[in-house]
Amino acid sequence: MAEVSMKDIKLRIKSVENTRQITKAMELVASSKLRRAKERAERSRPFFSILQSVMDDISSGSDSESIFTKEKQVKNSCYIVIAGDRGLAGGYNNNVLDLAEVEMKNKNAVILPIGKKALEHFKRVGANMITSDFESVEDISVKNCHEISKVISSGFADGDFDEAYIVYTKFISVLSQEPSVVRILPVAVNKNKESKKYILYEPDSEAVFNAIIPDYIAGVLWGSVSESLASELGARRTAMEAATKNAGEMLDSLSLKYNRARQGAITQEITEIVSGSEL
Amino acid sequence: MKSFPLKIVTLDGEFFNGQVVQVSLRSIDGDVSILAGHIPYITAIGMGECRIYFEQASEPRRAACMGGILSVSNDCVRIAATTFEWAEDIDRERAFAAKKRAEEEILRKKDKINTSIAEAKLKRALTRISVADKIK
Repeated sequence: MAEVSMKDIKLRIKSVENTRQITKAMELVASSKLRRAKERAERSRPFFSILQSVMDDISSGSDSESIFTKEKQVKNSCYIVIAGDRGLAGGYNNNVLDLAEVEMKNKNAVILPIGKKALEHFKRVGANMITSDFESVEDISVKNCHEISKVISSGFADGDFDEAYIVYTKFISVLSQEPSVVRILPVAVNKNKESKKYILYEPDSEAVFNAIIPDYIAGVLWGSVSESLASELGARRTAMEAATKNAGEMLDSLSLKYNRARQGAITQEITEIVSGSEL
Repeated sequence: MKSFPLKIVTLDGEFFNGQVVQVSLRSIDGDVSILAGHIPYITAIGMGECRIYFEQASEPRRAACMGGILSVSNDCVRIAATTFEWAEDIDRERAFAAKKRAEEEILRKKDKINTSIAEAKLKRALTRISVADKIK
């Protein structure tokens, strides 16, 4: 067995130890950020459920259809694709971008990328983008979501596109995240004719409905951004946990090798001394 | 005077949850005030001041409230606002800076879309400033 020198092994051990320190730190950072991202997603829920129930009430109570709920012949589509800002998160970015590509196949699509990885990807493939302003998914604020939703809803109202989707990563648990697609426009409402309520709308139900559509979309978007962020951190945490574990295993086998090499060197020295003294 | 439960939420979370006797705010159609026992009512919120009265004829708690909906049902009044800021939390310097930026943008930009965005920004800044001024 061609022995690697003890010095080489020692160097290697040192570098693996450094790497393990980094992956361990990244794991800890991801877990603490993950908690915050999850809380953020939770906080936005009441707002969203109020809007949803109002929209359901309005559409249950009226026979006319708003332009935002009417299905149209689809010529152009709009996709909001949410990916991460950084790599080292296992398959997180690839999974969501792959799904976006599959969904957009054979469609005339414009894209609104959120997150550096999404932006870079669609730049590379030369896709048609609405804006490239949202480079950092971590810095997206509620205000940004309202801005995006205004752009999307006015684009839809003007007929620039006939449907809009969000491609994001659903947060199922810390260990599992699933890339998924939701349609935001035309808006899906639960019509329930039997639960018709007598509610006074001012100025009228349609005006109220159209006024809250941008808020509703902003709500969906904010939820998706928060969930994607939580998923990214979850994926990174898992990836870094695995990396830390692998580094630990490597260290074990390297120190075994090191000890063997050391023992071998000592044995050889003894043999040499013994055989020398016999002369 | 009878009180009723009021809940105020935005995407950032819950701002208020408690009993009040009156809430006044600006809807897209003009100012409205809600008292206890109002019929089920829904309207879209405009840009303006929201006043919450905890007791009759007392000084209200003020806030800047823009966008979203006001929903009155038999058991609860809910405000789901795009932005909601208590008057004491408004950063006047930031609001003034935003006002200045928006004014400059309106002067500079010629195309319709950007001008309307800048005008909306200006209106928001002015609303925040006027609400913040009232508690001084």
